[in-house]
Amino acid sequence: MGAQLADGADLAGTEGVTLPEHVRRNRAQWTRWAPEYAERAARAWAREEFTWGVWGVPERELGVFPEPVEGLDVAELGCGTAYVSAWLARQGARAVGVDVTPAQLETARAMQERFGLEFPLVEASAESVPLDDASFDLVVSEYGASIWADPYWWVPEAARLLRPGGLLVFLVNGTLSVLCAQDEEVPPGPELRRPYFGMHRFEWPEDDSVEFHLGYGDWIRLLSECGCEVLDLVELQAPEEGEPHVYPGLPERWWARRWPSEEIWKARKL
Amino acid sequence: MSDGLSEHAARNRAVWDRAADSYQAEHGEHIGRAEPRWGMWQLPEDELQILGDVAGKDVLELGCGAAQWSILLAGRGARVVALDNSARQLEHARAAMAAAGLDFPLVHASAESVPLPDASFDVVFADHGANRFSDPYRWVPEASRLLRAGGLLAFSGGTALETLCWSPAEDRLTTTLQRDYFGLHRTEEEDGTVVFELPCGEWIRVFRSAGLVVEELREIQPPEGAVSTYRTEEETAWARSWPMEQIWRARKA
Repeated sequence: MGAQLADGADLAGTEGVTLPEHVRRNRAQWTRWAPEYAERAARAWAREEFTWGVWGVPERELGVFPEPVEGLDVAELGCGTAYVSAWLARQGARAVGVDVTPAQLETARAMQERFGLEFPLVEASAESVPLDDASFDLVVSEYGASIWADPYWWVPEAARLLRPGGLLVFLVNGTLSVLCAQDEEVPPGPELRRPYFGMHRFEWPEDDSVEFHLGYGDWIRLLSECGCEVLDLVELQAPEEGEPHVYPGLPERWWARRWPSEEIWKARKL
Repeated sequence: MSDGLSEHAARNRAVWDRAADSYQAEHGEHIGRAEPRWGMWQLPEDELQILGDVAGKDVLELGCGAAQWSILLAGRGARVVALDNSARQLEHARAAMAAAGLDFPLVHASAESVPLPDASFDVVFADHGANRFSDPYRWVPEASRLLRAGGLLAFSGGTALETLCWSPAEDRLTTTLQRDYFGLHRTEEEDGTVVFELPCGEWIRVFRSAGLVVEELREIQPPEGAVSTYRTEEETAWARSWPMEQIWRARKA
């Protein structure tokens, strides 16, 4: 693939490149989290059916991805262990996984070997991706760059990577769940704990990561400004039954039955 | 047009016919400004720039009340048609129009079923108007039908978040989610009206399926010191933290 050097980024990696403070902090935090995610990676890679988010809502119920994905050029921003890319590659997409944390990409590489499924993995921040303009039909992020990178940097990058007519699909925490989230790692209740106006950058006392969450109007404005037309906002409701998720700070099922704990935005590059 | 009114449109018509006089007495001064202003805190259109230049455009107001907006837009060169579901509100509109020395069509109808031809407007708008009292699954397709290609739908209204945080038991706005977001649609108010609000994703789906492209969602944060005849000081303080009012803009494809 053609390498475009942006902001001094180097295809060999991000070492030595001056990354923004929040990107450096998130890379360090994800390096610490990587072993835990490595344990879960094989299970995520082995899934035959693609499901969204912590409640495992099947893609076949939501129909978010274009159909078919076969033959599409797909970039996954903040791919982590790259299980989303793996599923898309298995459907015949030409996937490229982008992540800023080497430890996560090591797991992705190990999974590629274990499952005999190869696709390019690029070590880069989603805020500055060393890939060509207009070279992808689909840019996707599930709990990836969508919450760990600054949207005012990564969404313009995603839009730059898309061909006209290409789709941007990303999953983030539900807006209400962010407003109700507790500072400690315990599930939210129904109380609003922080203001909506000014939503953007979030830091939590329990770890050193930096998250980004926007309100609805800000997402729509940002997507429009990046030349993307909003096609859909799928606010996910937890199914009535199923296995609990393993994330102590996220809403429990009773909460996510009433209010969206996750939302998927879908937009088309004009 | 009373035939074919939906059950909630008939109820809302009856309530508004009874309430129009006291409504105009209570809020008429607040919303009767010299220049067009939006919503509960009367923020100037010239600052928000929601409609833009209306001169020479065919403009339809859905739920015009006493036609404060339509009169000002007619003064700015728009060819205005003003619709309301309440005959008593339209009597106020007729008097105000005459006082302003203007004459434009007033239409007595529900926004869910508008007796006007397809593709006859460049702008369809409402300021806390018919959008609150009509079912979005009916009135948005109607608005879209009335718009020419490239035409603008813009409307201000309440928010899902405020609807969720209202406690009927305590009869006040709280900072706790009281009711479900999923399935949010219809609410019966104590004054007998039936009002409508949708989750954000549901609005987007309604626009898209009506052939409208989503342009903007402007969530209104009232400026410090903003006053309203519609809201208590405590409620305005709430609205400084969370959106209580929002304006959608969508474009007919």
